[in-house]
Amino acid sequence: MDTASRGGAVKQASPLPFNPADYFTFVLDQEIRNIGLPGGYCGFALELAEQPDLERLQQRLDLLVEYFPIASARIERQGKRYAWVTTSQRIVLERHQCRQGEQAQGIQLAILNRQESLPLTLHWIASGTGGTLLLNWNHPLLDARGVKIVLDFLASDRPESFKESPSLIEAKLAQWSFWKKCCLFFKAKRHNRVVNSMDSCLPTQEEQGPQTLQVKVRHFSEEESRQIAKLAQQHTGLAGRTLYYLGCFMRAVEQVGPPVAKDGYCIPYAFNLRRQNAPTPVFGNHVGCLFARAARDQVRDRQGLFEHLLAQHRQVVREELDLAYLTLMWLGQWLSPARYAKILRKQHSGGELSSLWFSDIGDLSWGKKGFLGTAVTGMSLLCWMTLPPGLALLAGQLNGRLTLSYNYLSPAVDEAWLDVVIAQMDVELLAEA
Amino acid sequence: MKEKLKAFIFSELIYHEDPASFGDDADLLEAGLDSLGIMRLIMFAEKEFGVTLPDTEIEPDNVNSLDALEKWIRQAGAGQ
Repeated sequence: MDTASRGGAVKQASPLPFNPADYFTFVLDQEIRNIGLPGGYCGFALELAEQPDLERLQQRLDLLVEYFPIASARIERQGKRYAWVTTSQRIVLERHQCRQGEQAQGIQLAILNRQESLPLTLHWIASGTGGTLLLNWNHPLLDARGVKIVLDFLASDRPESFKESPSLIEAKLAQWSFWKKCCLFFKAKRHNRVVNSMDSCLPTQEEQGPQTLQVKVRHFSEEESRQIAKLAQQHTGLAGRTLYYLGCFMRAVEQVGPPVAKDGYCIPYAFNLRRQNAPTPVFGNHVGCLFARAARDQVRDRQGLFEHLLAQHRQVVREELDLAYLTLMWLGQWLSPARYAKILRKQHSGGELSSLWFSDIGDLSWGKKGFLGTAVTGMSLLCWMTLPPGLALLAGQLNGRLTLSYNYLSPAVDEAWLDVVIAQMDVELLAEA
Repeated sequence: MKEKLKAFIFSELIYHEDPASFGDDADLLEAGLDSLGIMRLIMFAEKEFGVTLPDTEIEPDNVNSLDALEKWIRQAGAGQ
């Protein structure tokens, strides 16, 4: 690894308070740290056919910190709230070299498993004539769509066109009258009560102990990806690709057998307030939370499950429960991390709410130009998660090819069990009616 | 109708440098309308225009342009 100094002067800016979604992710980051793990760090790995111009990449990293000092800021408590405080630290591109026979994935995991002080680091992992560019970030800093924008900034010919803008959640909240907010708040509270009433099946019984992050990546071919998209449209309609992945996962676990067998499955998933293809905001989290829930007997009926998940999603959007959740997130900012975490994670029975952490980054493409002129040949995603569930499924599609990254805590989640679930998931995703 | 749909799409779902120049027959899916966005758009249309758009009809041909959306919403309205 290049051990060049991380020092260097950049301009200072005043503290930037967390927005409600930043705090939401910070609370989960703290939950992960509380059991001795590095925190809510995530990784976005881009496989490149050749080595890009690393000097240019470093210049762009310097420019990133100059334009957006938050990129190397630290978190500080200010009264009851938390904020980003700039540090003047440079982000130095870290260079790694795969030894003969060594896989880039091993180095990626070593990076994610180390203790990190910066909220964002960038790594070039050379392997053969190409390599992997890994962007490692702490979730309170930005969401996954923001990471794509940061990568676009690093490769853009017009970096000056990237500008920061205020929190989209706060902008949305500001559109509503006091009474509308109250109404949505009580609606969200009622919805939460219902969500917390069904005990969730979990992938592990463990709740603590030393763990390392591991990942299993499943790349689907173009033909398989097309088939999955076709089946998703057939079962959950054009509007339900995310629901198709979630339903297939529930069924795969149910068929293999959940290590903690309770009443059903609950999988939170994000809805993004960012507009598709918008170059701004760059930093910050701009997401709300939705829940895919199904009882075990519903999961056993494949067609019925997809109909149920789609109807559930429609109802949530129709009743504005997706937006209503933002009012809960706004109020959550005033709670201590421990108290907020309890509300976010615990069901009425005291069990863990989430059967799985899930994120779908959607369709990505770097077009003919590639990343800094280099062809992007693959991608994968990494993230830490709380224990339980100790398992996260991250989906993304690059140039029409679906990639599923199964991140898990070891030894909490049994690798042999997960291998069978992944094989069953493939069957479910590609199953004809 | 198309103006209302367009205003919602470009203020909430898709970024476009110049929404006014986005044609009524231009491809919304290529412009970035994703699966959850489609659902929000359908819910907006149902509420705004007082129609019910059946799940079984959520197909590319019905949502891939402003023209297609308007036609689908009018047909759904006529049948109710």
